[in-house]
Amino acid sequence: MLSRSLSRYFLVFAVLALAAALAFAACDDDDDDGETPAVGETPAAGETPAGIDISGVPELQDGVLSVGSEIAYAPFEFFEEGTEIADGLDIDLAEAIAEALGVEVEFINTGFDGLIPALQTAEFDILVSAMTIRPDREEQIDFVPYITVGLGVVVPTGNPDNVTGLDESLCGLTLAVQVATIQVTFLEDLNADVCADNNIDIVTFDSNPLAVEDLRTGGSDANFSDFPVAAEDAAQSEGDLEVVEPQVDPEPYGIGVDKGSTELKDAIADALQAIMDSGEYDQILANWDLEAVALQ
Amino acid sequence: MEWLLAIRYDIDTVGDFLFNPIILRALRKTLYIALLAMVLGVGLGVVLAVMRVSRNPFVSVPAGVYIWFWRATPVILQLLALWFGLRQVIDEDIFRDNWTRFRAAVVTFGLNEAAYMAEIVRGGIQSVESGQMDAAKSLGMTNLQALRRIILPQAFRVIIPPTGNEFIALLKNTSVAFAIGVVELLNAAKIQSARNFKVMELYTVAAFWYLVLVSIFSLGQAELERVMAASERDRPETLLSRALSLMGTGSRRGI
Repeated sequence: MLSRSLSRYFLVFAVLALAAALAFAACDDDDDDGETPAVGETPAAGETPAGIDISGVPELQDGVLSVGSEIAYAPFEFFEEGTEIADGLDIDLAEAIAEALGVEVEFINTGFDGLIPALQTAEFDILVSAMTIRPDREEQIDFVPYITVGLGVVVPTGNPDNVTGLDESLCGLTLAVQVATIQVTFLEDLNADVCADNNIDIVTFDSNPLAVEDLRTGGSDANFSDFPVAAEDAAQSEGDLEVVEPQVDPEPYGIGVDKGSTELKDAIADALQAIMDSGEYDQILANWDLEAVALQ
Repeated sequence: MEWLLAIRYDIDTVGDFLFNPIILRALRKTLYIALLAMVLGVGLGVVLAVMRVSRNPFVSVPAGVYIWFWRATPVILQLLALWFGLRQVIDEDIFRDNWTRFRAAVVTFGLNEAAYMAEIVRGGIQSVESGQMDAAKSLGMTNLQALRRIILPQAFRVIIPPTGNEFIALLKNTSVAFAIGVVELLNAAKIQSARNFKVMELYTVAAFWYLVLVSIFSLGQAELERVMAASERDRPETLLSRALSLMGTGSRRGI
């Protein structure tokens, strides 16, 4: 009696396990480790469409430029709604650079705080992720400057706390920001300086959209990101949020390259110059209504 | 000297951050969340377990549904739902002002833990021979009296070891609270490493404190189990009891 009910148990269990195994097997085909489909030309040896010699660049010998990016920062990089297709200004620029180098491009979605360590351990060739060039980052990796972007503070519509920008008006408020960004550094600097007696409560999130959601639901008083992102977030907030004008001082963003990869860095700089000369760079910026961020 | 592997690890950074006030503050937060959530979890878990073993379906079924729901969804989803979700749904200042991230974390981990504790306590209750209940009732006790005076005290011995495991798991799981902006131990370390890029060094700092916390509670648990043991003979030796007997005090087992 006992053994019969036991074997029945095992039968049910085996059927469930089999069903689960089949479900997984069905998923296997489109499991791509979070990498988006590659686009671009087939690799050509030696000379590239833009006339750049890539034969001395070890990272490009596989015919693929792999790009690390935290793809949750519209309009710079984001997944098109309901898809896993990366889109945005950085994405378009990276694709144009890869095309100029005659290689394919693939994007590897990585958390922002993990981008620099991942680049240093060669998980991808370059990083393009709306990253501002800062001295502490330059100690870790090299940068090729490609656009110039200011910072922006987002507040609830009507600006109830009278925030005027990156200044003492933020003291005592709760600021929702993304971890590992220069925004955190700037706020910590304020806490050490003008807000020393009335600290800003800095609340960090893995991605900026979560920080914005925190602001929208009243968990914090303001959000601090890059100006075009702040403007986009306010525009998408159904009137809940607004951007504090004017934007905080524009600084150059850089394409990150590992310190050992001088040949790759030169090739990226050459390719960037080539798409600037051909007018493609301006066209891409215009497509995103971001002419204002052109490299100065 | 030529090394086979180039090792970049800065032990001084570990030393600098081990007792850094930001890290210690985060450590305290981790501990508070875990302790408060565990109190909530054990309290609610006992109630749910008693409901679960009830013969009245109006009592046992809601408890079963509760346990099913909280065990079948990931804790990070519960956390996001109770913070971002609830705050979006309940557009009321009095709620938003009082529903802080810290409270949301404590309540979420507590409600989640209650489901697991309920199953552990139920197992404990059912491990007590049914004859005990009959005997208690024959002495004129009500169901609840028998449960409180006879069944639960005996069930505790079975309940304590897995409860210790639960607490240790909870202590580590609190790191998930970063999703809603709670700066607890691991995430304080993460934030600091984002500034100096010493990732492995700050992971080491966080790991060190988790090891310290878990070790302290493991020792405490072993001691509690020793005290709760049914008979002197079943009493396991613990580090503390061995140390005490070496010093000539405490229990004198085995003469």
